Amino acid sequence: MSQHDNEPVEVRIRIGGPAGFGIKAAGQTLARLFMHAGYETFDLTEYPSLIKGGHNNYLLRVSTEEIFSHVEPVDILVALDADTVRLHLGELTEGGAVIFDPEAVDIDEIEGVPDSACLIDVPLKQIVYDAGGVPIMRNTAALGAVLGHMGFPLEYLTDSITAQFAHKKPEIAEQNVACATAGYEYASEHGCAFPYEMAPRERRGGEERILVDGNEAAGAGALAAGIGLYCAYPMTPASSLLHFFAKHGETYDVVTKHTEDEIAAMNMVCGGAFGGTRSMCATSGGGFSLMVEALGMAGVSESAVVVGLFTRPGPATGMPTWTEQSDLRYAIHASQGEFPRVVLAPGDRDDAFHLTWQAFNLADQLQTPVILLGDSYLSDNRQSIPPFDTSRVEIDRGDLIAEGEVSEYRRYAVTDSGVSPRALPGVTGAEQIVNSYEHDEYGFGAQGEIAEVRIAQNDKRMRKLDLARTLVPPPAYFGPEEADLSILLFGTTKMPVREAMKWLERDGVSVRMMQLVTVWPFPAEEVSAFLGEAKRSAIIEGNHTGQLQGLVREQCLVDVDHTLHRYDGRPFSPEQVRAFIEEVCG
Amino acid sequence: MPAVKEYTTTNKPTWCPGCGNFGMWEALKRALSELEMEFADYSVVWGIGCHGNGADFLKTQGFHGLHGRALPVATALSLTRPDLKVIVEMGDGDGYGLGMGHFVHTVRRNVDITCIAHNNQIYGLTTGQASPTTEHGMRTVSTPSGVLEEPVNPIGLALAEGATFVARGFAGDIPHLTELYKEALRHEGFALVDVFQPCVTWNKLNTFSWFRERVYKLEESGHDTTDRTAAFDLSLTTFHDMTCTPEECRIPIGVFYREEDTPSYNAGVKASQTPGWRSAREPRDISDLLASFS
Repeated sequence: MSQHDNEPVEVRIRIGGPAGFGIKAAGQTLARLFMHAGYETFDLTEYPSLIKGGHNNYLLRVSTEEIFSHVEPVDILVALDADTVRLHLGELTEGGAVIFDPEAVDIDEIEGVPDSACLIDVPLKQIVYDAGGVPIMRNTAALGAVLGHMGFPLEYLTDSITAQFAHKKPEIAEQNVACATAGYEYASEHGCAFPYEMAPRERRGGEERILVDGNEAAGAGALAAGIGLYCAYPMTPASSLLHFFAKHGETYDVVTKHTEDEIAAMNMVCGGAFGGTRSMCATSGGGFSLMVEALGMAGVSESAVVVGLFTRPGPATGMPTWTEQSDLRYAIHASQGEFPRVVLAPGDRDDAFHLTWQAFNLADQLQTPVILLGDSYLSDNRQSIPPFDTSRVEIDRGDLIAEGEVSEYRRYAVTDSGVSPRALPGVTGAEQIVNSYEHDEYGFGAQGEIAEVRIAQNDKRMRKLDLARTLVPPPAYFGPEEADLSILLFGTTKMPVREAMKWLERDGVSVRMMQLVTVWPFPAEEVSAFLGEAKRSAIIEGNHTGQLQGLVREQCLVDVDHTLHRYDGRPFSPEQVRAFIEEVCG
Repeated sequence: MPAVKEYTTTNKPTWCPGCGNFGMWEALKRALSELEMEFADYSVVWGIGCHGNGADFLKTQGFHGLHGRALPVATALSLTRPDLKVIVEMGDGDGYGLGMGHFVHTVRRNVDITCIAHNNQIYGLTTGQASPTTEHGMRTVSTPSGVLEEPVNPIGLALAEGATFVARGFAGDIPHLTELYKEALRHEGFALVDVFQPCVTWNKLNTFSWFRERVYKLEESGHDTTDRTAAFDLSLTTFHDMTCTPEECRIPIGVFYREEDTPSYNAGVKASQTPGWRSAREPRDISDLLASFS
């Protein structure tokens, strides 16, 4: 059964069609079965902001070796409509297959189909009709055809279908199994030879895998941290985190509220944090804009809140379902006035889990907002990864005063660290006003306008930024210390760059990468050292204006030699990164 | 049980002499004292406005939030701290203007909050602009030719959105207001007490004497507080042409409507039955969740 070749085997499958065809769900079924069969998977969903029609597609990369991102080429293209063939023909590898229903796609009408392409005309509609199913089951027939073409055991699919529909009427599962089987048989009989040998395999060491996207990872991290309140207004790509808490909130005792707007969401998490509950909200740029006044309130009132800012191309409504890294400066600077904040930028799913539970600790230790800066590329897409190491999770609620320990309470006592011991409401003697106004040590606004009081409180708050520097996660480094090129980046660009580094290493090009895990407070010393030691340096970031580059200039008084930007809504691909590195390394 | 005066902080009130906020402050202190509320039993959340300056004067473990945003802060506190009685103090510009969206949604949720609206029908702290409840035709610094809009009807709005306790008070009748506060604080669910609170500096129309000549008590009028339609009709009689005589304008105060058996939003949320901080004493076991990802 198992295959222990040294040669890595990799297959890329793209499923495309109009919205409403269940393309993402079908693709995830495929991802899960390959994960169960011992492979690594990485998916990328592309979809317009609509419910029916348009062009949706789901790209799945399946590999025997560790992978870090999606890639551009496609070996098997499943086209549920003619647009899918037209739009993705150029990605087809030599000898790649196109699986289509001749009733939906007139392949002869489409220009540029290479002679080498393996055309598999599966009568999907007829198969569904014969099985007595409903139109959406074309997906299942197509998945069957994918496995049939690959010669991969059908049971992996049928088992998964049986499990998936276990709680529905038995005929649903039966019809789906019939569709899968018919698609499988048709493709195995009518297809051409599949160039790779793909079979279920033992994963080295037999390690377990989980299949998660960034929002599920962040949700798991928040649950582990003891979150008790999650508030949000739906906004792509953060909405699935609201669904996550709506689904799991009752099991894990998390008050989950779909609020009337993001203003309410952010004010609510301040209220939750005031009561001592670990509280989080998440949104994208537009919703964050509504949250900003209350973000500032969290700063001045010293509220321990966690805010997810999962970005997409802006400004305004922008490109709702696509990705971009153009809110870095916004995350760091949003709000009038000045206050300390921490901005953490997860680069992949494991980061999303660990940085989220750490964000709750930092928020409590510093009594100030912590922002998790992600993006659609991370939020929306799943990867097979080892289960999160939950043994690392720790809970630190910061400086809390318990019942019976309060005397002469001053909520905003001026301290050397800037952190004032916190007594929650309900604790005897903990009279206080947690205040959006500038205030004195007791929280009273009336005295907040006295110049000396203002200075003392402002200085106290800003001292927490120095404390933050000692608590926040350090930058992460990848690649050899001596390298041809040193790349600085933040967030999800980590994934395609790691993938490109893997390829380039085989070609003898050495790259070192520094990932800013904490983007604020900015690790200026580390960045200066990194760039100072670089033979040649570059910044890769998903925006137009070079926001990270600007920060480096401002904070380190240096610049980099090369930059690569992308702002078309798509994530960097490792191919693009490799081409850039090869070019700058001459 | 703290005495009334113990609910006062060391800060000297900065409201104008004769301000309606003094009467509301006094009535709330009396209500808290008579209900034997210790300082750790309740939490007050304020918005921004003259009313909000009261955060400095009332002894509590409270939160002075943003303009218009007291209700969402209080909602979260109520849903995560079942051991606290949560009180909101908001203004008419604050709660019915900027925060109107939150008001309507909090009412329809029936979150367990006692919401006290300081309704002086003017912007006080920003020096005299028309507020959402300023009467039609009134001239202010922002409406020199007179207000063109109809005023917001908070009682009618709350009733329309399914409020389970709706009352109106008058800052010039402290004993009556104290009783209203006590009933609202005993209510489980969202309780609105909209209080006419004359602004002696900026509102020269709706003065203490103007109200004294016009208010009457619902409990003395035979009003049935379980009759929602009758309550709604009464809410429509509040605002009249500003030149109306005391005989023409009769302004009801007291409880308009109450429902005792409607469950609060809090009652429907399992996680709201225990304080939220209890979930974060040690890392949660998420092994079942992780298993569902495999």
